[in-house]
Amino acid sequence: MKKTLYYLMIIALMIIFFFPVVWIFLTSLKTTGEIYAWPPTFIPENPVIDNYRTVFLESNLGLYIGNTLIIAVFSTFLVILLASLAGYGIARIQFKGASIFLVFFLAMSMFPQLSVAPSLFLWLRQIKLINKFLGLILVYTGLFTPIAVWILSTYFKTIPMDVEESAKIDGCSSLRILFQILIPLALPGMAAAALIVAIFVWNEFLLSLIILSKDTLRTATVGIALYPGEYAFPWELITTATFLAVLPLVFVLFFFQKNIIGGLTAGAVKS
Amino acid sequence: MKRLLLIVLMSSTLVSVLFAAGAQEEAASEGPVTIQLGISTREVGAAMPELLKSFEAANPNIKVEWNKVPGVPNDQHTLYVTNMMAQSEQPDVMAVDVVWPGEFIANGWAEPLNEYFSDSDLEGYLDGMMNSVTLDGKAYGVPLYTNAIHFFYRKDLLDKYGLEKPDTWEELIESAMFITEKEQNPDLNGYISMWAQIEGLFMNYLQFMWGAGGQFFDTKGNPSVNTPEAVKALETMVDMIYKYNVAPESILTYKPNDAMALFRQGRAVFMVVQDFVWPMLNEADSPVKGKVVMDRVPYFEGHSDANTVCMGGWILTLNPYSEHKAEAAELIRHLTSTESGIVLGTKSGCMPAVKGMEENAELISAYPIAETLYKDFSVGDVRPSAQAGKNYPELSHIMQKEIHAALLQKKSPAQAMADAQKALDELLQ
Amino acid sequence: MNEIARRKMFGLFLVLPAFLFVFLVLFLPAANTIIKSFTEFSPMNLQQNDFVGLKNYQKIFGNEEFMDSFFNTLHFAGVSVFFELILGLVLALILNKALAFRGVIRTAILFPWVLPTALNAIIWRWLFNTDFGFFNSFMKSFGLISRNINWLGEVSLAMNSMIWVAVWKTSSFIALILLTGLQSINDELYEAASIDGASGFQKIKSITLPLLIPSILLALLFRSMDALRSFELPFALTQGGPGGATQTLSLFGYRQFFQFLKFDQGAAVSVVQFLFILVLGLIYIRVLKGERDT
Repeated sequence: MKKTLYYLMIIALMIIFFFPVVWIFLTSLKTTGEIYAWPPTFIPENPVIDNYRTVFLESNLGLYIGNTLIIAVFSTFLVILLASLAGYGIARIQFKGASIFLVFFLAMSMFPQLSVAPSLFLWLRQIKLINKFLGLILVYTGLFTPIAVWILSTYFKTIPMDVEESAKIDGCSSLRILFQILIPLALPGMAAAALIVAIFVWNEFLLSLIILSKDTLRTATVGIALYPGEYAFPWELITTATFLAVLPLVFVLFFFQKNIIGGLTAGAVKS
Repeated sequence: MKRLLLIVLMSSTLVSVLFAAGAQEEAASEGPVTIQLGISTREVGAAMPELLKSFEAANPNIKVEWNKVPGVPNDQHTLYVTNMMAQSEQPDVMAVDVVWPGEFIANGWAEPLNEYFSDSDLEGYLDGMMNSVTLDGKAYGVPLYTNAIHFFYRKDLLDKYGLEKPDTWEELIESAMFITEKEQNPDLNGYISMWAQIEGLFMNYLQFMWGAGGQFFDTKGNPSVNTPEAVKALETMVDMIYKYNVAPESILTYKPNDAMALFRQGRAVFMVVQDFVWPMLNEADSPVKGKVVMDRVPYFEGHSDANTVCMGGWILTLNPYSEHKAEAAELIRHLTSTESGIVLGTKSGCMPAVKGMEENAELISAYPIAETLYKDFSVGDVRPSAQAGKNYPELSHIMQKEIHAALLQKKSPAQAMADAQKALDELLQ
Repeated sequence: MNEIARRKMFGLFLVLPAFLFVFLVLFLPAANTIIKSFTEFSPMNLQQNDFVGLKNYQKIFGNEEFMDSFFNTLHFAGVSVFFELILGLVLALILNKALAFRGVIRTAILFPWVLPTALNAIIWRWLFNTDFGFFNSFMKSFGLISRNINWLGEVSLAMNSMIWVAVWKTSSFIALILLTGLQSINDELYEAASIDGASGFQKIKSITLPLLIPSILLALLFRSMDALRSFELPFALTQGGPGGATQTLSLFGYRQFFQFLKFDQGAAVSVVQFLFILVLGLIYIRVLKGERDT
């Protein structure tokens, strides 16, 4: 009895959480006429794949997803690189001011992002990085490093000190200890932090909109969010493109959820 | 250590690759000049490739790069102003909403075009549109096309009950109440429009206000919204929702496309939105295909002479930081010519803002509804953006806010207009 | 230089690259924003700084729209974070159990968090549509409602609708953080409690929750920081309507910055917002530290 209730609750929650996704998918199979039909249908009456054809052939979606991938991969890589070094430094070397750095990172991640956008635009223009992926990658790196430092510094704290001590006795240099012993141990935490950063990058709208102002350079989120203006609210295309744009992330989630959750688990707030 | 070196090496290569990514424009410094045109694919998307092709054919030394800027006006505005504040040399030519030039001119973000266009050239465009780009005798832009808010009605439903097309708001309310009562269909609304807190709400309100004989600015150039006409306009809008029940309460969340969707489903008798919905209402699978008529926006009884059609449109401006002004001006001239206008009209349904187009046989025969559109434009007026200059965005925001407060019954219409007047006086003092 | 000093230098050296990036990308623009909030701004000359003291702050605090946005933001952040926490806890407890289809369930639950807000809001706006949205037509067809509900058009309802979208999206993020805490709780504690005859609920109350408090505080910190700066959701879902009922501080700030080009006042809004979040964040950290030390 209790077990049934428990499973019913899970099923209810699954429906609530997954319903909009199913709905996005089903809508992507409808014709324009059915989209505007009254009363609305849930399951498409005459499923069509035309929307997928249109999105691939007539819109820049493929390009947008490619742009997003490039930007997400490089900014995530940079963030994790910087944040691992900093996280290690803060967590395991008790130098003076380590906690001040941590508070600095946190405070900076609290500043309203839209108010830094105009200054960033101006400066990026001066160094000719507007409409360059590198410009946005550098911005994202700065923007998301603080939260990654937080996650990774807590993670590094959980790795036993004696691992390092014994390596030191063997005469390894500090850098070597970091790269050959600690980084491999911290990989699960880094993977989890990387996923969080990648999702933040996928999510970001305003900076991407103004820094990459050319239509061919747009990221997926901005590109799709701007469909309405382009085609007078094509719901069927928006849902189709949205579905396709999040598909890669869903796959990553499905195949790596164990590592991600495991990665965050081992570290984080245990201490 | 080796591995570290490898990482450093790899990342530096990648960085140099990324520097190159998206950097095509630097390459073309010799040979033909490349100018960038910023215009969205919204509305003009179908006609633009042909127009750019004919331009490049006529001007072999100029290449045009079409930057398809966001079609959502707000996002487009954000993009332009960030670029202009940073004194960016691109886009060389920008398509701007008819209400933005005041702001652009005041901030020095639009180049005067008198050097490139003669006075007689400029006189060939519709006066209302030209007024929005002219300051102290200088023209800072050329209208590309114009559009307006129109009145759409279900001819079949009016015929069914032997009713005539309503000319006035009073008649409209009466007919709407009559038809919805007779039809006994809970899904049928009398009147639908875009009354969400957006620019379109202000446009809508102005039509009511003009139709009551009001003007936004008085003869001395001061805002005058605390007038009997202005209050009556707002009162009527409020009453349409709560007193006569002809407009649903959800109208307060509706943007043009939502209204169109509802009307297209056959669930409204009357609608007031922009002309871009016309093709969608007449698509093959539209339930209201062939049952819809488009006409001018109603007025209040006794004000048949009022201009009640609120006009919009897009202007081409020249970026003052552009490095190729003469070429850019040439592009503006090409896109705003009569020949281009016919392409815009027939391919995209965008009506060129050139005088005499209403009699252009080529346009009318290819796009018959153009005749109705120009007829409605003849009783049209533009928003008070030229007078408000750079304060227009905030002026519009104040009006939207106060109108919405009254429509939500948070304030009486009189109170809302009194508050609006106070805020406007403060803004424009 | 002795061994310890060298090691400390090494630590500093490791933090520097990250610091440099954050300094350039966030600190300098933020400092610029703070300076601008005390000056009169002209869109024609961004470098010009004419100091006007607290004038911009006086202006925004005199603007009732700012005050409304401030309270809207508090309302939105407070209620949504509260419900996200509760739902996140439930989700975390489920995710923590070994179940059939665990991978699928975890993916499904994490999905909303992956969907970008800007697109999310567009989809929900349609689902919520009063006259042809899915919710109303669904409930009507089952006879649950007789009159269409004006989800986004009624002042009292719009904020709740927006809160729901936020809860839907971010509960899973909270669940993820809580899960990390849950999995670090030693199973032996539960076994011992079972032997003592504790019920499932008692175990949650006396073992899980107390041990989870650090994770909860961390989740609260991250989410409050985000919710208090919420911009894309109201921007795409309601544009702050009806009648300003869902206008947040960030949306108000956005209008000052990009619509009215009043950078000075927009900067003042951001600074107030920042100070508020900073104080809240420092309180969280204080409590978090206290929790860890005990």
